[in-house]
Amino acid sequence: MKHKQQITPPRWADWLLELYCKEEFIEEIQGDAHELFERRSEHSAFKAKARYVWDVLRFFRPQNIKTSKKLNSNFINMTRNNFKVAARVLWRQKVNTALNVFSISIGIACFILIGLYVKQETSFDNFHMEKDRIYRAWVKEVYADGRVFFNTHTPLPLGPTLAENIPEVEAIVTIGDNPTLVGRGDGRIADNFQIVTPNFFDYFDFEVLEGNKDKPLPNRSSVVISESYAKKYFGDKSPINEALPLQIDNETRDYIVSAVLEDTPLNSGIQYNILISDENNDLLYSPRMFNAWFSIIVETYAVLKEGVSPEHLSPKTKSMIKAQLGGMDPFDGAPVEDHYLVGFQPLQSIHLDPEVPVANYPVGNPQYVYILGAIGFLVLVIACINYATLSIGQSIKRAKEVGVRKVVGAQSSNLIWQYLSESLLIAILATFIGVLFTLWALPVFNQLAQTNLAFELNLETFTQLAGLTLAIGLLSGIYPSLILARFKLIKILKGSNLSAGKQLARKGMVTFQFLLTIFLISTTLIMKKQLNYLQSSELGYNYDAMVSVPLYSQPNSRGIGQMVSSAMENGKMLKSELSKHPNISDFGMGSHVFGTPGWWQLGFEASTGNYLQFDLLMVDPYYLDAFKIEMLEGVGFDPALDIHKTQGVILNQAAVEYFGFDNPIGKKLPGNDFGDHQIIGVAKDFNYESLRESVQPLVIVQNPIPILDGIMDTNSGDSVIPKLVFRYSGNSLAEVGMVLEKAWGGLFPGEELNFHFVEQNLQNQYENEARVNKIVTIATVLSILIASFGLLGLTILMVNTKVKEIGIRKVLGATPKTILGILLSQFTWQLVIAMLLSIPVTWYLMSQWLSDFAYRTAIGVDPFLLSAGLTMALVLIVIGFHAVRASKINPVKALRVE
Amino acid sequence: MKGTYLGEFEELVLLTVGALHPQAYGVAIMDEIKEETGRSVNISAIHSALRRLDEKGFVRSEMGGATNERGGRRKRFFELTAFGKKALDEAQSVRMKLYNRIPDISIGQS
Repeated sequence: MKHKQQITPPRWADWLLELYCKEEFIEEIQGDAHELFERRSEHSAFKAKARYVWDVLRFFRPQNIKTSKKLNSNFINMTRNNFKVAARVLWRQKVNTALNVFSISIGIACFILIGLYVKQETSFDNFHMEKDRIYRAWVKEVYADGRVFFNTHTPLPLGPTLAENIPEVEAIVTIGDNPTLVGRGDGRIADNFQIVTPNFFDYFDFEVLEGNKDKPLPNRSSVVISESYAKKYFGDKSPINEALPLQIDNETRDYIVSAVLEDTPLNSGIQYNILISDENNDLLYSPRMFNAWFSIIVETYAVLKEGVSPEHLSPKTKSMIKAQLGGMDPFDGAPVEDHYLVGFQPLQSIHLDPEVPVANYPVGNPQYVYILGAIGFLVLVIACINYATLSIGQSIKRAKEVGVRKVVGAQSSNLIWQYLSESLLIAILATFIGVLFTLWALPVFNQLAQTNLAFELNLETFTQLAGLTLAIGLLSGIYPSLILARFKLIKILKGSNLSAGKQLARKGMVTFQFLLTIFLISTTLIMKKQLNYLQSSELGYNYDAMVSVPLYSQPNSRGIGQMVSSAMENGKMLKSELSKHPNISDFGMGSHVFGTPGWWQLGFEASTGNYLQFDLLMVDPYYLDAFKIEMLEGVGFDPALDIHKTQGVILNQAAVEYFGFDNPIGKKLPGNDFGDHQIIGVAKDFNYESLRESVQPLVIVQNPIPILDGIMDTNSGDSVIPKLVFRYSGNSLAEVGMVLEKAWGGLFPGEELNFHFVEQNLQNQYENEARVNKIVTIATVLSILIASFGLLGLTILMVNTKVKEIGIRKVLGATPKTILGILLSQFTWQLVIAMLLSIPVTWYLMSQWLSDFAYRTAIGVDPFLLSAGLTMALVLIVIGFHAVRASKINPVKALRVE
Repeated sequence: MKGTYLGEFEELVLLTVGALHPQAYGVAIMDEIKEETGRSVNISAIHSALRRLDEKGFVRSEMGGATNERGGRRKRFFELTAFGKKALDEAQSVRMKLYNRIPDISIGQS
C-alpha cells in the first residue's frame, strides 16, 4: 500500500493545469482528475500517468482557460469593447459602410497595383548578394572645344588595368553584348550573346539550374544558356554537353553547353540568353583593340573591397590613366588625365539614373516611376477623404452618444480610440477586399499596361499590408474622431448647433477631393493629347503601309564595305522577286529606317577647328522617293547618274543650318579630310528619330567612303547593314508575310526572315508613354469611381438631414428642379474652386512633363473644359438621382418623422 | 431562444445529475453514464456539459465538504433546478407524444 501511495500524477502536467486553468475551477477539475488517476493507477502506473496527461490536455478548453491578468487590463477590455461597438455602428449604417469599404478597397487595389509597378522598377538588381560592392565603370572624355563623350560602354583595356592598378578593386567583371546567328544551315536564328568574364557567376547571383554549378564557364568553348533558351533550342531533352553553333566573326563554331541558368529575373538590368567566356574576345576584336582606350566596347563592372567608396578612387584612376595614356592632349596640350575621366556608378542605381548613359541594356524612366507612385498615392488619399468627410457628416447623429459617454466619464482619448476603431475596422475590411480585388484585376492590368507584374502573398507583403491598413485606418479616422471627441458636453446636451466650425474643414476636404479628381482627369487627357500628337504629327515622310526587311550579307563578306554591298546585292534580288507582286511598290534600301533608334552618328573636326557632329544615312537612289521625302533645293539622287552614286551628298535643312551654308548646292562639307563629294540637294527636314528630339543634322549619301574618310568618331546603335523597304497597297496584312516568306524562302533559305511595319515601329517609340498613359487612365477611372461614391454618401447624408426642409418646401409647392438646386448648391462652390485651383497645378506639372519632348502639343483649354464638364456631369448625375428620389417622397411622411 | 436548447449529450448528463442526486459530481456522472449506456466519455466533456447546463440554468452546484480522497480536494456537487426539471419533462413529453403516435401495427414483422 505504501508503495502505491507514492505514485503521483506527473508533476509537470499538474503544473500545466494550474497554469492555464481558471482558479474557480481548478479544485474540482484537479480533484476529478486525481480521483480517476488514483483509480487507474491500481492497474498500471504508466497508463494512469498517460491518461492523466491526456485529461489535462482535454481540459484545455476556452471555458476553463483563465483570462490572464495582463489580458484583463482596462486597455484590452476597452479595445475589445470599442471594436464591438464599432462593428455594431458600422452594421447599422450599412450603406455608408459599404460605400466606405468599397471606395477604400478600390483605392487600395489601385495603390497595390501601381505600387507593384513602382516596386519592380525600384528594385532592379537588388537581388545580388554583393550588390552594394558592385559598381559599373564609366568613361567620360571632356574636351575644351565642348565635345563630351560619356559612356558606360568602356574600352577593353579598362577592366584589366583597373584590376592591376587599383588595390581596392577586388575583381572585374566585363559584359559584352554582340549579335550572332545561332544554328547551322537552314533556319539560323538571329540573337544576341553576352561575352563575360568567367567570374560573372561569382558576383552576380543568377541561379545555375543544371550543369556545372561551380564553374559554369570552364573554358573558351563552353556556353551557358538560359532556361527558356534551352527549351527553345533543345526542346525537352537536357542541353548539357550538347553543341550550340554560334556564328562569331563570320565563322560558325560549336560551343558546348556547360550549364543552364535561370531566366533573367524580371527586375534584372542584365539580360541574357547565351553567355560565353571572354576568352573568345580574340575572335571578335583585333589585337589592337585590347590596348585601344578610345574604342568603347564592353560594360565593365568593378567589385570593390568591403567598405571602399568609389569617390575615393578618383585620384587613383587619374594616376592610372596618366600612366596608361600619358602626356598631353594632342589638341590643346592639357594633361590627358584631365580629359579622360573614369568613374563608378552603383549597380542598383543603373536602372533609374537618367544622368548616366545606357549601355547594353535598356533602363527605366525615373520620372514615370515618381509620377505613377504619386498617382497611386493620390487615389488612396481620395478614398481616405471619402471616409473622413462621410464620418464628419455622420458626427451630428452621434453627438448624443458622445454626450452620454462623456457624462459617464469617457476622456477625449477614450473617445478618439473608440472612433479610430471604426476606421480601423473599415480599413481591415477594405484591405481584405482590396487584396482580393488586386488578385482579380492583376492579369487585366498586366495586359492593359503591358507589364509583367506578380503579386506574391508572403510574409513581407503581409507586413506591408498590415502597415498599410494601420496607416489608412489611423489617417482617415483621426480627423473625424478628433472632431467628435472635442464636442462640448454642455452644447450637446443643450442640443445647440454643433456644425459651425468643422464645416470649413469638411468643405475643404471635399474641394481637395474634387481637385484631385479633376487634376487626374485633365492629366490623362493632356497625356493622351500629346500621345495622339506624337503619333499623328506630320513627320515629313510618308510611312503608310511601308514595310522594312533587314537584309543579310553573305557569310563570307569581310569588313563593313563588303557587308553593305553584299546586303545590297541580296536586296536587289529580293526586290526583283517582290516587284512581280501587283500590290508592292516604292522600293528603297537604306542603312536605317524610321522608327528605329540608333542612327549612324559621325563626328569630325571642321576646317575652323570646331568639332561637328552629324548623322549619316546611306541609301540607294530610290529610298528618298519611296518615302516621298521632299527636296527643298537642288535634286534628289538620280539612278542614272554615276556621279550621284559615287560623290552625291544630300543634306537636310538642319544640316545646312548647322554647317552654316548660305547656298549649299555644289559645295562640300566643311572638313579637310573628306574624299571627293558634292552637295547636290537639300531635303526638307523630316523627323527620322523620336519626336522627343528635334531634327538633327543629317547627311545622306549613296557611297559613304568619301565621308568616312574625313571623320574622327563614329557611333551607331543600330546595325548599318541595309534594310529593304517597300509599300504594300493591298488590304490583307497577312498577305505581306506570305508574299515575303515565299520570295525570301526561295532566295535565302538558310536565313531567318524579319520584317516590320514602319508605322508600328514609330508607335513603339512611345511605348513607355503609352503604358504610363494607360496606367494613369486606369487610376483616373478608379478615382472617378471613388469620388462618386463619396459624393453619393454625402448626398444621402444631406438628403437625410434635410428631409423636413424638403418636405416643407414640397408642401409649399417646390418642384423637383428646385430641390435639385438646393442639393446642388451645397457643392457648387467647392466644385468651382476645385476647378479653378486644378488649372494652374495641372498646367505646371504637365508643362514639366511636356518639356521632355522637342515636339509637343499645346496644352490648350480643351482638357480643362472636358474634365470640368465630366466632373460636373458626374456631380449632376449622382445628386440628381437622389434629388429625384427625395422629391418623390410624400411630404406627409417626411414631416411626420420626429 | 438562444441557449436554452438541450442537446442530446446535455440531456443525458442532466438526467444523470437528477438520477444521482445528491451525489452527482464529475467522476460519478462519468461512471454512471458508462454503466448505463456503455459510452466512454472523457471527464473534460462531462465538465464542459455541466458548465453549459449551469449557464443555461438547468443545474446548480455547490462545493462539498473536504475529504481525504483526491488529495483533500473538494467535489462540486450538482443538482437539478426546477427549470432543468421542466426542460427534462418537456423533452420527455415530446418524446412520448411522438412515440405514442407510432402505429400499433407490428413493426419489424411483415
